[in-house]
Amino acid sequence: MRILPPLPPLLLVLVACAVSADNRTEIILATTTSAYETGLLDTLIDQFTASTGIEVKPIAVGSGAALMMAERGDADATLTHDTTGEARYVAAGHLVEGRRLMHNDFLLVGPAADPAGAAGITDAVEAMRRVAARGPFVSRGDGSGTESRELALWQEAGVSADSVHGRVETGQGMSATLYVANDRQAYTLVDRATWLTLGNRVDLVPLSEGDPRLRNDYSVYLVNPERHPGTRAAPARKFLEFMVSRAAQRVIAGFGRERLGGQLFIPDVLDE
Amino acid sequence: MSDVGLHQVSFQRDGRTVLDVESLRFPSRSMTAVLGPNGAGKTTLLRLVAGLERPAAGHITIGGERLSRDGAPRTALALSDAVFVRGTVRRNLDLGLALRDVPMAEREIRVRDAADECGITDLLDRPARQLSSGEAQRVNLARALCLRAEVILLDEPLAAVDRLTRRALLDDLPRLLRAAGATVILVTHDREEAFRLGERIVVMVGGQVRAEGARRDLLMAPPDADTAGLLGFLLLEDADGPVAVAPGELRAGPGAGGPQVGFTLQVADVLDLGRQRLVTGTIGGRPVELTLPEKAPSPEKGAMFPVHARSVVRLR
Amino acid sequence: MNDLTTALGEAWRLLLSGDAEIWEIILRTLAISLCATALAMILGVPLGYGLARGRFPGRTLVLGMVNTAMGMPPVVVGLVVWLFFTRSGPFGGSGLLYTPQAMVLAQFLIATPLVIGFSAASIQSLPPALPDLLTSLGAGRWRRLWLLSREARLGLLAAVMAGFGAVISEVGASMTVGGNLRGSTRVLTTAIVTVTGRGEMATAIAYGLILLVLAFAVTLILTFVQQRRDA
Repeated sequence: MRILPPLPPLLLVLVACAVSADNRTEIILATTTSAYETGLLDTLIDQFTASTGIEVKPIAVGSGAALMMAERGDADATLTHDTTGEARYVAAGHLVEGRRLMHNDFLLVGPAADPAGAAGITDAVEAMRRVAARGPFVSRGDGSGTESRELALWQEAGVSADSVHGRVETGQGMSATLYVANDRQAYTLVDRATWLTLGNRVDLVPLSEGDPRLRNDYSVYLVNPERHPGTRAAPARKFLEFMVSRAAQRVIAGFGRERLGGQLFIPDVLDE
Repeated sequence: MSDVGLHQVSFQRDGRTVLDVESLRFPSRSMTAVLGPNGAGKTTLLRLVAGLERPAAGHITIGGERLSRDGAPRTALALSDAVFVRGTVRRNLDLGLALRDVPMAEREIRVRDAADECGITDLLDRPARQLSSGEAQRVNLARALCLRAEVILLDEPLAAVDRLTRRALLDDLPRLLRAAGATVILVTHDREEAFRLGERIVVMVGGQVRAEGARRDLLMAPPDADTAGLLGFLLLEDADGPVAVAPGELRAGPGAGGPQVGFTLQVADVLDLGRQRLVTGTIGGRPVELTLPEKAPSPEKGAMFPVHARSVVRLR
Repeated sequence: MNDLTTALGEAWRLLLSGDAEIWEIILRTLAISLCATALAMILGVPLGYGLARGRFPGRTLVLGMVNTAMGMPPVVVGLVVWLFFTRSGPFGGSGLLYTPQAMVLAQFLIATPLVIGFSAASIQSLPPALPDLLTSLGAGRWRRLWLLSREARLGLLAAVMAGFGAVISEVGASMTVGGNLRGSTRVLTTAIVTVTGRGEMATAIAYGLILLVLAFAVTLILTFVQQRRDA
């Protein structure tokens, strides 16, 4: 009579799991939600894994949280869109080998009735100033690159965020925030990619766009292996190289065109 | 006055008529036993009087007043299985009084008195759900008595108790109920209980009243064979059909007084018929014969043989 | 380990600093969840009673549906409520979406099946003759319901605890229909998601600890009521 469970096979399975986990090369990418939610990142990662065998685990958080992950050494690379924030972490030595990846822009959207009179004001700061006086405005409030840009615009307009009329914070991602703005018939700042994806599902219209201060830059960085020895710098560097490669940049340029009828992201390297 | 009357009352369950009473009256302060086999509609009758059910047709009166759904309760009902709310015996006794808005000071007195009468004073602070079946039945009774209702309804009060408790309660109940001074309706399928506790007897079979009247009158002249059988008459089969013989007729001897249950057969001969035995003899001087199955105890020739009331005995 | 001690310190600091926002979030969380639980009790207990005692065709089917709904993912409930109250939905004009009222509604829908299921089970475990006894003693419909509830107290309070526990710790529906708006619909769970998203782990754990203490305190009070001995 056997009373003990079949231990040897069980052990074998466990060892096999451990070995395979060790053998597989994988990196963690702390990424902003906006690049991830569109599906672009998945497309790129699939191609990268197919050609190199390196797995990429994207952790989609706000840009702020993504940078914090880098600071703690919890990620091997980052994809963010918060130029000022990134600069701080580069200065502190957490991020190295940064590359501009792509860009698009933000739009100020709001109700068609436009009570604040922001329509057609190409000067984004002026448009924001008008919105501040009238509101309501829905903010991400989640420490994302979008919120960071919003706060920068308020500052430039000479108003403090707290004094903006009817400003609420959702603490959520771009799509949730856009839906709240839609329900409240409020103004909000939205990135081009989300707007192309969801714009036709909400009763809001673009009011101000095209100002260079609304440009939205996405960059990739390597988490500094000298500061964080536990990170996997070699495969992460490969991933960065792939992202600025011609092949990847082509994918970025073509992404969403046939499905949404507009360009979500403009590749930076292909331009040069 | 607190007489109870049923007037053209019928009641249906699942589309079947389980009670159909043309007219029935329980006189004020009388003690009536409703006797019948299971499924006779006895409990339904009690539930109707207690207001737990509404008749499909007809109406019920207490003291000449029609029973209404939201009128103040005028009856006290002791259900056959003694269910209790959580808490002590005292809380269980007090609950009905509180629900009937009896003033606090009087509630205490009534609980104490009822407990005293029923002999449950030392149980008052015990959890009611941990009583023995005999104790539970006494508490069940005390709970009904302390309400001091005009009408007391008892549903098979001795069904779930052991032999000893049953005997003790059979001795106590008539006194307790008479002291309550209420109109008492007691439902039972047990003939002995009916005889011991009911001054009046109502016999029910198949949802209908077969007989009613004073205990003595019914015993003198049972109106039909079913009633006679329920009352403990021996059914003798004649060429013309069944003939009822009252137990009293057969228990000869002075001082037998009151109804007795049971018959004895003076055995003349026992014939072995293979699978059966044929017993011949006399009951009260009448020649009779009785067929017994093989397994039944065999009577001795010349002995007195007790005959079950439901046995079919043929006149010779 | 370091993170956890930092979090404990952070929790104390938040509570003691008189930080208006955290107290506001705590009170709002309690108000919404208690309100939803109370409404669920008001509807769920009588329905549970009806299911336990009633005899009607399809009763078993309804009980099965209730038992299934007890395990319904809150986020699905939230989504359905969202679809009803969004601008293009049937109640789009009501302006209820992204309000505390909508959160109460969603949490109510989550808690009610739990309350119905637990109440039905606890009523069914009572002696079957108890309602008759109470009626015969002189209890009208409402007093009978009240007394039966007292008898079934153990199970009914378990129902409250299950309902309250489910809604206060629930995040999906609150996020979807409440919108996590700072100052109006942000509750502890959604706040945790937000600060986690911001990478402020110590604050997130501090919020989590506060939520835990809150749920524990309310449940403890209910447990005391539940276990109180009968007079």
